[in-house]
Amino acid sequence: MESEAETNKLLLVIERDIRLFFQYKFLIIMRAIWFVSQIALFGLISSRMMSIPNYFQYYVSGLSVMTLYSAAIFIGFDIYEEAEHGVFEYLLSLPVSRKQLVLGRSIGGGLRSFIYVGPLIALSLFVINAISPLNFLVSLVALFLFSFGVSGMSITIAVIIKSSDRFDIFMGVLDALIVRLSTAMYPLAIVQQSNPFYGWIANFNPVTYAADLFRWGTGIESIITLSNPLLPFLGVVVFFGFFTLFGVVIYERMIEGGGWQ
Amino acid sequence: MAPIIQMKDLTKKFGNVVAVDHLNLEIEEGEILGLLGPNGAGKTTVILMLATVIRPNDGTAVVGEYDIRKNPDKVRGLLGIAFQEPKMLWVTTAWDLLNWHAKVCGLSTEERKRRVKEVLDAVEMWDHRKKTVHQLSGGMRKRVEVAKVLIQRPRIAIVDEPTAQIDIVGKHKIWNMLSDLRKEGTTMILATNELYEADVLSDRVGILHKGKLLVCDTPKKLKDSIVGGDIIDIQLDMDVTARIIEDLQGFKEVVKVMQIKPTNLRLYLNRVEEVVPRIMNTLQKANAPISSIRMSEPSLDDVFAHYTGLTIEEAQKGGE
Repeated sequence: MESEAETNKLLLVIERDIRLFFQYKFLIIMRAIWFVSQIALFGLISSRMMSIPNYFQYYVSGLSVMTLYSAAIFIGFDIYEEAEHGVFEYLLSLPVSRKQLVLGRSIGGGLRSFIYVGPLIALSLFVINAISPLNFLVSLVALFLFSFGVSGMSITIAVIIKSSDRFDIFMGVLDALIVRLSTAMYPLAIVQQSNPFYGWIANFNPVTYAADLFRWGTGIESIITLSNPLLPFLGVVVFFGFFTLFGVVIYERMIEGGGWQ
Repeated sequence: MAPIIQMKDLTKKFGNVVAVDHLNLEIEEGEILGLLGPNGAGKTTVILMLATVIRPNDGTAVVGEYDIRKNPDKVRGLLGIAFQEPKMLWVTTAWDLLNWHAKVCGLSTEERKRRVKEVLDAVEMWDHRKKTVHQLSGGMRKRVEVAKVLIQRPRIAIVDEPTAQIDIVGKHKIWNMLSDLRKEGTTMILATNELYEADVLSDRVGILHKGKLLVCDTPKKLKDSIVGGDIIDIQLDMDVTARIIEDLQGFKEVVKVMQIKPTNLRLYLNRVEEVVPRIMNTLQKANAPISSIRMSEPSLDDVFAHYTGLTIEEAQKGGE
């Protein structure tokens, strides 16, 4: 009975974050417009410059993962918004454990970005006209875990940095590095050719794992040569597990006891 | 019966600033304890420590049967808080906010719907329930904040300046609702810098100043603790004589007798309600007919000034 009540609390934290995200209608519409513009303008035009076969499809699938990443990051900005309005103190005063709170927020942050990016992924699948049902299901699970992991990472960084301006700048730099040193926009072979060190980093990048799995799931693997999807899948699981568990520990350490003030 | 809240040397420092300094205080189940003090006195810090939002540097508190350091999750299960500044994001509606709060506090669906409607009606916010926080006035936001506790009906309610920014009619409504909440068995900590509010609602009042608890007692005892705090203004139908003054000075409760006008006296004394009949008797015996008599008790303003040497306004200026 008690465990049921505790699960309910976790679900309520998740529900709150999902509801909250969809209150930001302007942001959602603008991001959707940005996504479509990227496909319709940048994707179409840049694919004509590339010698890589089917680059347009490659780009659209990578863009889906990038959009998922940036939507999942948004939870960190929510934390600052809440700190500014004092909502943080309210959340900390509720009959919800810190573990439930951070786990709920990681899952809520990931889930809401997945719900948001879902239609965009459907659009991208339609555009690239490719799907392999079983593989796609596996890649979908991986993208779920990836988005939870990114939310956990965003929460962890937000509570460590404790300054919205710095967080904004840091996430901009991180975004530039983590996305560009991945296979979201270009195949691993090309990254390795340009600089073996870049290639090495891209090999251990969660964005690479998510992008590769998504392409594998949607059947665009001809240009990524993903021989064993288990490895990136494990990579995503480790990424999710680390930032969820680490997030709980850091959150408790930094927030509990008024560390935020 | 053991107190429901026991604070033991509760201390909080922010850098070099001691916000709460070795606070020792016990609160009985079912009572309303007023924490009175200017901004910066440490009231909100005490509340945040009890709510386990911030951790004390030293000392602890036992809430219910749980230590705030050892069992913070259990402590939060007993508490409901209405914060001084409404804690809400501007994009949410009043209804969403209260409905979610009721859910997370464990109210059943039926009970939740009933209480949210009942309380929103009572605080005159039902018609505004679909407005976002951004569209609400400061007073409306405050009413929504207080509504959280009224819906939750926790075992221990902490209300931080519940009627700040609210008009006088609204204040009385909220006071009545808080009194009703107590009648249902809720213990309450009322942090306020409104002396009248503390006087009207509290069973006991603790005066906090610069993080220290100066005194804690019933409003009546606090007022009586000011030596010569009660005042009687007497107007006679004749000039006051030296004999009359001498007779009045003979009462042990009378601290000082001042002749304001030839026919007017002002007496500074204690326990006015007990002494007045005897004073009237003495004047009657002295054939000094009374034209008018006016009594006034000290207010909590006077109590605050007595213990801090400052009016609450002066203390506010020197606060955090």
